[in-house]
Amino acid sequence: MIGVILKISARNVWRQKKRSFLLAGAIAFGMFVITAINGLTGGVVDNIRVNFSHALGGHVFISGSEYLDRGTIVYRIADDEKLLTALQQNGESIAAVTRRSQAMPSLIFGSRQAMQLVYGVDFQQEDKLLGSLVVTGGSLKDVTNEQLIILPRSVAERLGVEAGETILMRLDTVTGQRNVGEFVVVALIEDQERYGISAAYVNRGYLNTLVGLGLEDYQALNLFLTDMEQADALGQSFRAALGVPEPKRLAEVQDMDDEEAMAAMFGFTRASEVEPWEGIKYQVTTINQIMEPVEAAVNALKTIGLAIFIILLVITMVGITNTFRMIMIERTKEIGTMRAFGMQRGVVRNVFLMEALLLSAGGALAGLIAYGLAAFILGRISWDTVPAMQFFLDQGRITFTASFREITFNTSLILAMGLLAAYFPAKAAAKLSPVKAMSSNL
Amino acid sequence: MAIIELADVHKIYTLGKTEVHAVKGVSFEIASGEFASIIGPSGSGKSTILNLIGCIDQPNSGVVRINGTATSGMSDRQLTTLRHQTLGFIFQSFNLIPVLNVYENIEFPLLLGKTSVPKGEVRDWISYLIEQVGLHDHIHHRPNELSGGQRQRVAIARALVTRPAIVLADEPTANLDSKTGQSILELMKKMNAELNTTFIFSTHDSSIVGLTDHVIRLLDGTIVEEVYQKADRDTEAMS
Ligand SMILES: Nc1ncnc2c1ncn2[C@@H]1O[C@H](COP(=O)(O)OP(=O)(O)OP(=O)(O)O)[C@@H](O)[C@H]1O
Ligand SMILES: [Mg+2]
Repeated sequence: MIGVILKISARNVWRQKKRSFLLAGAIAFGMFVITAINGLTGGVVDNIRVNFSHALGGHVFISGSEYLDRGTIVYRIADDEKLLTALQQNGESIAAVTRRSQAMPSLIFGSRQAMQLVYGVDFQQEDKLLGSLVVTGGSLKDVTNEQLIILPRSVAERLGVEAGETILMRLDTVTGQRNVGEFVVVALIEDQERYGISAAYVNRGYLNTLVGLGLEDYQALNLFLTDMEQADALGQSFRAALGVPEPKRLAEVQDMDDEEAMAAMFGFTRASEVEPWEGIKYQVTTINQIMEPVEAAVNALKTIGLAIFIILLVITMVGITNTFRMIMIERTKEIGTMRAFGMQRGVVRNVFLMEALLLSAGGALAGLIAYGLAAFILGRISWDTVPAMQFFLDQGRITFTASFREITFNTSLILAMGLLAAYFPAKAAAKLSPVKAMSSNL
Repeated sequence: MAIIELADVHKIYTLGKTEVHAVKGVSFEIASGEFASIIGPSGSGKSTILNLIGCIDQPNSGVVRINGTATSGMSDRQLTTLRHQTLGFIFQSFNLIPVLNVYENIEFPLLLGKTSVPKGEVRDWISYLIEQVGLHDHIHHRPNELSGGQRQRVAIARALVTRPAIVLADEPTANLDSKTGQSILELMKKMNAELNTTFIFSTHDSSIVGLTDHVIRLLDGTIVEEVYQKADRDTEAMS
């Protein structure tokens, strides 16, 4: 019976081409819009995640602090047994390890100065970082100068400095002494402040000597994983090994004040709660934690997309219902004839439902194909020349990643709504009396 | 034995407040294999009676028996199955399914039931019918590519495809010119003789009763005359 139903419904869909194309087209449009929104936001989230991890130098970030007898806290990891063991145990999942120091010094050029976050990095091991920086002045080709500094453009503008010039850095050592260093600006980079990072980069060894750390000391150990999906698992594993409590999630800190929330989410020490401790106190943060606010924003966008999608679907549904009512009237005689020849009511209904299903499925498929084409074409355009967009892009290109789950969900929604829209006209058609077939008027 | 039996059948249509007494106590029997006609002017109740026999409408009172079984009290599902198994229909305005071609239109009633017949046999049977109604050159045509006479030939083949005991035809010639109409009746008559299927058709044209075995003349919802006659079985006259 399903064969007869399919045959008749498929031909019925085909017989009113214009009408079918309009309905399927409306469905296709809805499918296209929702998939494009999902794909674009999905791609953007992925790219932000990758770019973040490159800029921050990893997927999992471990920092440590020591409590000195005089009551000062020093952020420093001298090689630590526990950390090394944990690294070894998770060796398989770790693609690369970078070590960084950081400081918040004043940068001085002539009579101007500015406070600036500075990362001390090992440039030889930071290809990913160097690759992710968008250079607006100078060059990153040669990073061998021990005293080089890479400056965000906005800071350079504030200082009035250009690539090739020398600036001073004034900072406090871990023991509280003033110290000054000299740096050559080799490159200016696009500011990433908007996304939470606006950092200058210098050599770790030189920064360490300036802040009074050992040459091989570091403040943060960052891990690139072989599989980014493992970030949470690895974070957990390191927390367990290093005795760090599991952090709270964004949703769990809604009611806390900012300081409390940051403490709960990222394990920051609250100024009011400092108690002395022994050895190194670790803090383990994953890229996923950092991405949480971004994902929350993107999810809000996706929700809006879904709302638009559903509104479009409801409008289309009304169209389908009306069309099928019309179809029922048009085909009264035909339905009567089929009933006279022994077609059961349920089969009449199913022919209608199958038509709706075919229209919906065709529309959904067309929408997906349109999405695929749009993604392919837009993905080929290079936006290299628009620095502000780089953080959302993958090497200057827009990427689309609509998940299989989302596509399945949206398709199911379309099919369900198509069936629902046709259900009542289909039931009415099934109730038509075969007497109608006998009536002589055409 | 009577394959169709109507006993004191009444049919009243209600249109708002007015009632139309379309069939007023009609009784008759039709024997298996008959080529019977119901004749009467417009509004005399021909279609109503055929609908009652065809199990697509129910009488207000009286009994309709098909093959000895009363149809009253049957569910829609049972009536539909009964129609599928024992009845074939030919309509005044052909009523072919527009999306199906000639072959598919004829095949269509077979698809509505469970068939245990092998595919090859089905194909041979349909080809035989197509041959009989003279449409072997139009197998793949859609209804809108056929003339009225050709469409009605398709309808005849379709009505016969399930090998029904009874074929009902409500004014099968009314939409055709008289020459084509004549040939359609002759075709029906031929199939009646060939397959021994009971045919009942209605018409308001008294000039064609010569072909039939059994004439029921209606006026105003009652039988005014019923005649059994030795029909003109001269098959040579049909070409
Ligand atoms: N569905 C209906 N509702 C109300 N009245 C009806 C209905 N069908 C038929 N009638 C009435 O019943 C009477 C008999 O109608 P019927 O269609 O059986 O006549 P008929 O002999 O087939 O006429 P015709 O030659 O015009 O087809 C007519 O008066 C008609 O108006
Ligand atoms: Mg009539």
